[in-house]
Amino acid sequence: MKALFVEYRKQRHLSVWLIPLVFLAVLFLWGMAGQRNLSDYDLAQGYSYLLYQLPLLNCILMPTMLSVIASRICDMEVKGQTWKLLFTLQNKGSFYDWKFLTEFLYLLLFCLGQLGVLLLYGILYGYTEPLPAMLFLRHLAATLTAGYAVLTLQHILSLLSTNQIIPLLVGLAGSFLGLFSEFFPSALARFVLWGYFGAFVPYGIHWNKETEEVLLIPREFPTGLFAGFCVFTILFYLLCRHIFIRKEL
Amino acid sequence: METVIETNALTKCYHGKNAVEDLDLFVPKGSIYGFLGPNGAGKSTTMKMLLGLAKPSRGKVIILGKTMDGKNRLSVLKDTGSLIESPAYYGHLSGRDNLLLIASLKQVPEKQVDDVLRIVRLTDQQQKKVSHYSLGMKQRLGLAAALLGYPSLLLLDEPTNGLDPAGIQEMRELICTLPQKYGMTILVSSHLLAEIDQMATHVGIIDKGILIFQDRLDILHEHSRPGIRLRTTDNEMACRLLAQNGMPVQWEDDALYLNSHSDSDVLQVGHLLYSMNIGLLRIEEKQTSLEDIFLSLVGRQ
Repeated sequence: MKALFVEYRKQRHLSVWLIPLVFLAVLFLWGMAGQRNLSDYDLAQGYSYLLYQLPLLNCILMPTMLSVIASRICDMEVKGQTWKLLFTLQNKGSFYDWKFLTEFLYLLLFCLGQLGVLLLYGILYGYTEPLPAMLFLRHLAATLTAGYAVLTLQHILSLLSTNQIIPLLVGLAGSFLGLFSEFFPSALARFVLWGYFGAFVPYGIHWNKETEEVLLIPREFPTGLFAGFCVFTILFYLLCRHIFIRKEL
Repeated sequence: METVIETNALTKCYHGKNAVEDLDLFVPKGSIYGFLGPNGAGKSTTMKMLLGLAKPSRGKVIILGKTMDGKNRLSVLKDTGSLIESPAYYGHLSGRDNLLLIASLKQVPEKQVDDVLRIVRLTDQQQKKVSHYSLGMKQRLGLAAALLGYPSLLLLDEPTNGLDPAGIQEMRELICTLPQKYGMTILVSSHLLAEIDQMATHVGIIDKGILIFQDRLDILHEHSRPGIRLRTTDNEMACRLLAQNGMPVQWEDDALYLNSHSDSDVLQVGHLLYSMNIGLLRIEEKQTSLEDIFLSLVGRQ
């Protein structure tokens, strides 16, 4: 815990918490734009419709946000050339893990904030749909897991890059790739790390031309894919950690 | 003699080439050990291996009586402080905040931060952001961080690098006071002989990864005892004659060197040369500087 306390102490004056907050504000404003002239039909599937849209939005927002968070937190070590001092005081593995944990807590904050935004809409606009608690949890688990994988990549890139423009560019490219992977054949889309924000979306969609209504078709949660992705995420983290530990100063 | 650092055949190999080769370092307790060598000689690599920041390809490191390995590295280093190459700092934080961070990691009382700030004379600038510090102030902050916990051993890699003359003088004075005041042993590396000459009690000279000299500084100074340079009309014959008569003489670079400075020896040389009818063309006093010794040791005359 001491190492976690030290990590937060390092972040004084950096206002890293502002990053997820700004992205949440963007999310909130985007959501507000879609909440005008809601019919009874829309209100009856208010949460579900947002839960259908959010993963797609996360494909765009989260890679960029995570690259900014990781870069902001890791850059101070790169700029200050602190490695040679730090690694005489703490071991590399512990440094890597605790720093990642601080970044992950911002991701968690954002994901919980996202659910908070959904609840806020429900209250503000009077959704008549009962709160789909299970779908909320599914969304949280899927977003956190995909976020964990992308953050792992951004974390190692930010720690190893002397110029933070590289991880930031990777984050931006990830946002585009993640979005476009939605249009790839599903077998190919599984190879795009950033596309996993949208891989566990709980609904399909059907557009009824005559009534001009959106019909949400529930989807089975792809448990096998999710389990496989969780295993990949853990292995990917361990691999990146190993690369960092093995790198000599 | 009790040693604080001891290495045994310490070797570091990069891409099949030895950056440090079979290094046997002995740093006695309470000494200021000057680790001297030209740029790229292997000083920083050695320092990194001593701190476990680089893994030796071969050999052993014993610090404060404990053999260091991958597992006990941090516990062995608990009683050491270091400043390697450039000072480490968080530019967005104040000098004081930087030291508080290190104090947390070293698990030393925060009160010590005030003490080390005073030692390195940064008390007045402690609230300033480190990004606004001059290089000299950053170096002093790095030294303050190394001093936290008053370790028994301090490793300083080129601590005066990039400092102006006043900064160099200040840093040097600071380092010299530490063994007496706090009982520390200091290993300080430099490529500047004059700097080591003014600080160190012991010296190790490394070149191309090989330790070519290691002893007390006064022993190195003994190499620089004065002599007399002679030029005669027949150096070859004069050399033979003087050597036969037991004079400490050698023939080098078209001149004779008499490794003695005593008046009686000079007088005797004069007599002997006169007796054999050898003309004396020049006679000069020659002082071998520490610089000359260093250069001759590293083979760069």
